[in-house]
Amino acid sequence: MVGDFAVGKTSLTQKFVNNVFSDKYLTTVGVKIDTADVSDTKLVVWDVAGRDALSPINAAYLAGAAGIVLVGDGTRPETIKSFAEIWQTVSGKLGDVPVVVALNKRDVDGWEVTDDLLQTSIQSSWAVFETSAKDGSNVPELFAALVDRINC
Amino acid sequence: MPQSLPDNINQTLMQRLNPAYLRLDATMKVTQTSSNLSEYGFADITEGVDATEHIDFLVGVDPAQALSLPVVASPNGHPVCIELLPEQGDLNVIIADAREQFDLQQKLQQKANENQLLLEKQRTLLGELHAAKAELARRNTELEEASRLQSSFLSGVSHEFRTPLTSILGHNDLLRKSLAAETRPKSDKKQIYTDAVRRASQHLLSLVENLLDHGKLDAGEITINPRPVQLSTLQNDLEMLLRPLADAKQIDLLMQRQYPVDESVYIDESRVRQCLINLAGNAIKFTDKGSVTISMAHKDDELQLRILDTGIGIKKEDLAKIRQPFWQVADTGKAGTGLGLSITERIIELMGGEMTIQSEYGRGTEVSFSLNAPATDASINLDQAREAAFKDQVSILLTEDDLDIAQLVVILLEEANAKVTHVENGELALQALQRDSFDLVLMDLNMPIMGGYETIRRMRDDGNHTPVVIMTASALEADMHKAQALGCDGYLLKPVEVADIVAIADQIIVPLE
Repeated sequence: MVGDFAVGKTSLTQKFVNNVFSDKYLTTVGVKIDTADVSDTKLVVWDVAGRDALSPINAAYLAGAAGIVLVGDGTRPETIKSFAEIWQTVSGKLGDVPVVVALNKRDVDGWEVTDDLLQTSIQSSWAVFETSAKDGSNVPELFAALVDRINC
Repeated sequence: MPQSLPDNINQTLMQRLNPAYLRLDATMKVTQTSSNLSEYGFADITEGVDATEHIDFLVGVDPAQALSLPVVASPNGHPVCIELLPEQGDLNVIIADAREQFDLQQKLQQKANENQLLLEKQRTLLGELHAAKAELARRNTELEEASRLQSSFLSGVSHEFRTPLTSILGHNDLLRKSLAAETRPKSDKKQIYTDAVRRASQHLLSLVENLLDHGKLDAGEITINPRPVQLSTLQNDLEMLLRPLADAKQIDLLMQRQYPVDESVYIDESRVRQCLINLAGNAIKFTDKGSVTISMAHKDDELQLRILDTGIGIKKEDLAKIRQPFWQVADTGKAGTGLGLSITERIIELMGGEMTIQSEYGRGTEVSFSLNAPATDASINLDQAREAAFKDQVSILLTEDDLDIAQLVVILLEEANAKVTHVENGELALQALQRDSFDLVLMDLNMPIMGGYETIRRMRDDGNHTPVVIMTASALEADMHKAQALGCDGYLLKPVEVADIVAIADQIIVPLE
């Protein structure tokens, strides 16, 4: 799980793994590792600390990843624009791994995802989901799509 | 450095980091473990088990590659630091306590991220604020445009009403004059009928003017022009105008005067008169028995005006509402636009005064205001100025397309010792000016073929400097300024009284030597 800080990576993971959600923002330091079974596949989810202006993503946490969930906040367009830079780090470390995109916080007012933004920030091979960690919409679909792509 | 020091440091660090250790072979099977591994939640790790089945962070990693993971949440929630160190085909895994580093980083990162989120929120809000301001400016422009259109509409309506009203009032006056000259039986009520027509027409005119003023006040187009005014004349005029209204309702109209009889002051006479007519007119309208008193006092350059009535009064809950435009007391059955009081208050404020209303429901109302009104020594003889006849005969070119109005003005001016030539548009006026010379040109603005402005421009271009007085129903300040810029000598608003024409002509016509 990679993306800018406060886009909801931990919330999505917790919703998917433990079906819990908290509104309180608690920044992730380093990495949290969780597991979940998707069909017959054991998915080990590395929830990596969000990128911010001062600390880029530590590529060490990407080691051995079979696929990536790129997470952005649909109410903060900047977090989607930064996909390009994050992808540079990811692909530099892992090559062309399967990617699914979560445009998170679909339940919040002020959705600012436009066609132009998608056109410039999302690669055509990536599967895109508008998700809500709060109400769970598209969360199982997101991880199932990633597993499908990894297993292909 | 003595040997004991590195040993001490080593011992301290080992205590603080409490490193746990396991060694894996090339197939990721555990070959060796330290006893403290369970302290980090890694239970059931015994020699011979497949490490990737028990330790999630080992899934997918390349055992031949060294890897350093500074902060990882261990299975029991403790943050740990993990080092993977390949050695001769095996892999050493070192797990150390990272709570200290985690706590510090967590605090700093949390604060920094929250601040950043606040900044982003602030940026968004500022963006919304700018957008809201832009929207506000756009709506303001729309409102200004709507206001301009309203003002233009009101002015147009006013124009349309003033022209026929001029004709009605003027012809009615002619009728009254001729009736007055006739000997008629006492039972003849024609005089009463013409008086009623005059009152109704003047009332209609005041309603139209109120509507126009409302629009002009909104557009900030009303300016105050103080001139020397004799207070007794002003009060006498008011009395003459209002007494028939009071008489018709059989109530007393009382005039209180507290100023020297010849006292003259600097005020905008027409606006003060308008305010007093509105207020006293209201007082008479809402008083069915008793009296209405108009009190005027002048002291220390301050004019104090008070209208007191013994009418129905105003309920407490209505006192604030009556100042709003278009508001009327619902159950009185009195007609009106509901604009008079609101306009009066705004005009009083424009003149630097403040209107005060005191009222007791069922007992009566007192409305008062004070204005700065410096006394003046200017010797004005208003009676003389309002003399409705020229001393010496003057020749006037009247340019007016409305034949009713033209006929009326011709009659009135001829009665006032003028020789009048009437033409119906600007083109004919230019031809008349080439044929004859005139002392004065009275010019309507809106005419077919050639309007007033164009005519004046051509006159001046031709070198003709005969004084021109505009006579129009347009009360727009813009028109007045334009007229001034074109070199007009006066601007009269319909309905025009002959006395006004005489007064203005006396000022501008220079007798030929």
